[in-house]
Amino acid sequence: MNGANFVVHALKEQNVTQVFGYPGGAIMPLYDALYDGGVKHLLCRHEQGAAMAAIGYARATGKVGVCIATSGPGATNLITGLADALLDSIPIIAITGQVPTNLIGTDAFQEIDVFGLSLACTKHSFMVQSADQLGPIIEQAFEIATTGRPGPVLIDLPKDIQIGPSVAHTLAKLVHSNNYLDNRLIAQAKLMIESSNKPLLYVGGGVGMANAVSELRDFIEQTRIPSVCTLKAIGCIPHHSPYFMGMVGMHGSKASNLAIQECDLLIAIGARFDDRVTGKLDEFAPNAKVIHLDIDAAEIDKLRQVTLSMTDDLKQVLPAITIKPNITPWKKHIATMKAKHVSRYDHPGEPIFAPALLRQLAQSIPGDTVICSDVGQHQMWVAQHMFVDRPENHITSSGLGTMGFGVPAAVGAQVARPDDMVIAISGDGSFMMNVQELGTIKRKKLPIKILLIDNQRLGMVRQWQELFFNSRFSETILTDNPDFVTLASAFDIPGETIKTKSQISQALQRLLTSEGPYLLHVSISEAENVWPLVPPGAPNDKMMESIE
Amino acid sequence: MKSLLIIEAKNSPEFLERLLRVCRHRGFTTTNINAETGNSQQTLHITITVASERNISLLTKQIEKIVGVKQVATLQQEKNIKATA
Repeated sequence: MNGANFVVHALKEQNVTQVFGYPGGAIMPLYDALYDGGVKHLLCRHEQGAAMAAIGYARATGKVGVCIATSGPGATNLITGLADALLDSIPIIAITGQVPTNLIGTDAFQEIDVFGLSLACTKHSFMVQSADQLGPIIEQAFEIATTGRPGPVLIDLPKDIQIGPSVAHTLAKLVHSNNYLDNRLIAQAKLMIESSNKPLLYVGGGVGMANAVSELRDFIEQTRIPSVCTLKAIGCIPHHSPYFMGMVGMHGSKASNLAIQECDLLIAIGARFDDRVTGKLDEFAPNAKVIHLDIDAAEIDKLRQVTLSMTDDLKQVLPAITIKPNITPWKKHIATMKAKHVSRYDHPGEPIFAPALLRQLAQSIPGDTVICSDVGQHQMWVAQHMFVDRPENHITSSGLGTMGFGVPAAVGAQVARPDDMVIAISGDGSFMMNVQELGTIKRKKLPIKILLIDNQRLGMVRQWQELFFNSRFSETILTDNPDFVTLASAFDIPGETIKTKSQISQALQRLLTSEGPYLLHVSISEAENVWPLVPPGAPNDKMMESIE
Repeated sequence: MKSLLIIEAKNSPEFLERLLRVCRHRGFTTTNINAETGNSQQTLHITITVASERNISLLTKQIEKIVGVKQVATLQQEKNIKATA
């Protein structure tokens, strides 16, 4: 068994059944081993697409995503995907080919120091320098990617080690000891909750990553404490939960942002006080004591000084701190605010109003549908107006805000969950950034439904130019977009364009009932903006709700 | 404010690169550094002085997350550290 065969063997030992990638010179031995090695490989049409497909796979399943690329440009093309996985704490293993060890440092063909490049965009990285390191490195890589706060790990693998003989390695059986909670902190947390008049849960993506959704729901059910969530935590709390107010932050719901400012106890659960959530940090939840629950100790006191923190497993912590406070007036107030600031979908004229379209779509899809959104205005409309009831069913680039994420992430999600409907929702700017992955959809006949919301603009940038740069629309006009339906047809993907409200119902039906992939291209006005919006530097209760 | 940190880590070729990157990225300027391997060559002993307006715990918590770090201690924290190891 050579080194490349050993890698495939080790992947199987780690229960990897599916990888994503793109071959090239320095990784050819591994691709030879993959040829009949028993691990399925999906050829994407760009290494960035492979990385994002691996992320989509990981997020749709909770498993580790694996992507593979060659040295030099193949490896550098992975970098944005790795950064995306780092910011969103997604467990990814990236394997890159490297020139033979004797050529490293000689500026050989397709040689770049990807190990050096990886330092800022991975949780950890390895350069394999001898065959005997291969087994231990792969084992460590999987452990690092999945334990504590998950993240991407890169393994740079020189070609001579792939070709050379492997060294046997027995997979160690990892034993994770149970942590014992600090009873003093538990008692203090319960006391803080019990004595609070206006407690509020601020739920982040860490809940899903900790597989603690069930524990969170039990906690909410028993305590009846009102809640808001981050973009990455959408799906953790059932959308019909009576005191759940939706997303908080720059484009959060008005009720959420007002509640944050009014609460006297903020319980941050797997959340990290990101600037898109807090607005002006000094004025975020100004009256609140803070309990911060997060597995990553580096997040504690990073931005907001907290009253009490615990870095234990949320699955253990949440049941332990469950206590029902007497907060009837606060719950009534929350219910009133929620009702008062409910989204409205009445919109004049025949042009399509994207929020209403997305609401209608949400009401038309099966419960296990996976929504993969791209980045921009449509992403925020999806977050505001659609609803999913599992975090695995809402996949978007939250921390890095990576345009081009939606379609390749949908590829990964569809491969992971072939029996579930997967819908990629994109904008015309984002769609063009990884449009080559339509080739992957065609190649594997993936039945992905694509909803392309087209305002012929880089919409979110245009919105900010309108609001904060005196309507100087610098380089955001995309009236020269291609004919998207014709473009999709070149990849054997049927589709249609709609422009008016009266066309929506039947077009959605065709989209959702098509056997294979389908593109629904929706033309909207460039004048539509995302509301509310917390302007830069403002506190969350100073929301803009229109141009005036 | 300057801070003097003592770090013990598993020796690896790239450890100093990782450490210095984290210091810079988190807003700390390295003003002095000394690194030595022990007799076994397995462990790296580092003394580093960093300067920043930010709280030193923001940095030490990030350093503790670097794979291979065994121990981080903040030995001194004052406006002027005249001598380091």
